[in-house]
Amino acid sequence: MGKEELRKELLKQLHEGVVEFEEDQVKEAAQKILDEGLNVYDAVMNGLAAGMQEVGDLYDQQEYFVPELLMAADALYVGLDILKPYIKLEDLGDKPKGQVVIGTVQGDVHDIGKNIIKMMFEVAGFTVHDLGRDVPLEDFVKEQLRTDSEIVALSAMMTTTMMGMEKVIKMIKEKNPNVAIMLGGAPVTTDTADLFGADGYAESAGNAVQEAIKMIGRLREMQAK
Amino acid sequence: MATITPRERVKAFFKREPIDEMPCFSGMGAVTVQAIEKMGIRFAQVHGSAEYLAGSAIATAEMFGFDGVVVPYDMCTVPEALGRGASLYEDADGILYPTVPSKWATIDDVDMPEDVSVVFGQGRMPVVDEAIRIVKAHEGSKLALGGWVLGPFTMAGQLIELDVLLKGLRKDKERVEAFLSKMTDLVIAVAQHYQELGVDYMNIREMGSGTDLISPRMWKTLIKPNLEKVFSALESPKINHICGSTDLIIEMMNDCGADAVSVDQKNNVIESRKKLGNDAMILGNFDPYGTLTQIDASEVGGVIKKCIDDGVDAVWPGCDLWPDVKGENMEAYIQAVREYGKTATPAVGRV
Repeated sequence: MGKEELRKELLKQLHEGVVEFEEDQVKEAAQKILDEGLNVYDAVMNGLAAGMQEVGDLYDQQEYFVPELLMAADALYVGLDILKPYIKLEDLGDKPKGQVVIGTVQGDVHDIGKNIIKMMFEVAGFTVHDLGRDVPLEDFVKEQLRTDSEIVALSAMMTTTMMGMEKVIKMIKEKNPNVAIMLGGAPVTTDTADLFGADGYAESAGNAVQEAIKMIGRLREMQAK
Repeated sequence: MATITPRERVKAFFKREPIDEMPCFSGMGAVTVQAIEKMGIRFAQVHGSAEYLAGSAIATAEMFGFDGVVVPYDMCTVPEALGRGASLYEDADGILYPTVPSKWATIDDVDMPEDVSVVFGQGRMPVVDEAIRIVKAHEGSKLALGGWVLGPFTMAGQLIELDVLLKGLRKDKERVEAFLSKMTDLVIAVAQHYQELGVDYMNIREMGSGTDLISPRMWKTLIKPNLEKVFSALESPKINHICGSTDLIIEMMNDCGADAVSVDQKNNVIESRKKLGNDAMILGNFDPYGTLTQIDASEVGGVIKKCIDDGVDAVWPGCDLWPDVKGENMEAYIQAVREYGKTATPAVGRV
């Protein structure tokens, strides 16, 4: 089997392994990527992440639901754990990378959506500072200042914790107006008032997860440019 | 003309007897900041005191003209009684609902008591019992009193990590089923306890089981049998409430043995009415956060009218009221129910 043929076969195995939650298949294919000296970043983006994108499509088509998304994410992590240490900085080139502070705001203990968004950032090569869930609002501001992260990603499953997000945005923007703030998957860089007029928050766990998965597609498009 | 009390109206409604007008009530928390402020307290203080709990529920009903009250407001009373704690956010600014801080991390960690009735003496459970007694004793019990308990699956999600539960539905099915069966017994015990204390209707909120989260097939095999068991153990009136996406499961919801189904704004009630027919009692389905806190008061009447035109038998909010409502929106909501609810609905006639 030629190198390109092998690459395609292994990407397919990673992709299918994520879609079918076959953790062993993902593990084997990821190891083979390393053994064969293939491009690790290519395997992450066009194997694992592409598989997760299809999972997102299946979710949209109501073939998959949240349990299936979570199992696919587990399979993706199996591959990511093997491959991530070997991603070379030059593979990332000038593509988006940096640091992100992530967490669910105080009053919200639901973190499924947050964990999927976190995974998406990790796939894309970001360094993620995960504050966990039920996070006091000031902690987002402190962590952003401590790490000088370019992005703060706030997650909330419940509409009712949205007010907390508004406060965090205000507090962060006061200290550092250039920080990009994401709410449940909607990236926002300019006017915070626009943000709250838009659909920048998740109304349910399902929506949060759906938004997060869609972000993977958007990121892959960005990487391809 | 003889008038009936709000409580009599709600009770007649559930018996499907002709009534004078649509009752305006809910099966979820309905407390407002206006009532809390009038009492001179903060939202975080309400949950731990029977007097505050009952007082704020009654004050809201009387201030705006609801037919009934519902206690408690938070979803942590049972988990707290099982030792999982409750974060009340007493130091936080603004309104935050209590949450469960320490869920069991895995199915192996689950430690349920042999006799679930021990929960009634734990945590804030006695506070809720006392609040029920206070509401019932208030002014000759004119107001209807609603009770609610989370459904077995949603209760499970309050006690163990949600991702463990959701993945377990496929990866660890037998043990998750056994856990859900325990949850079913727990839900029955708590709901029967509140019925013994005299609530006028019992709402089972299986809110985490909409098809945003799980498939209709999974709903049929894992959620429905447990809900059937719950409803067969309870007295009427009993309601099956699910928020989120319910269009794909509405018929199964209606087959669980409850007297009514309750849905939120994601449900297409016109279609649900067609599927279920005019005998089914449907409650719903406006977005309480959007309708009562976000839009202009002049738009509220249209939202309420649409619920009635679509075919609900009583206008219920899709979830708890977000307490920080605009007073004028609340007034517009109740006025619209009274105005548009004068004529018969599919399942309930008018005198």
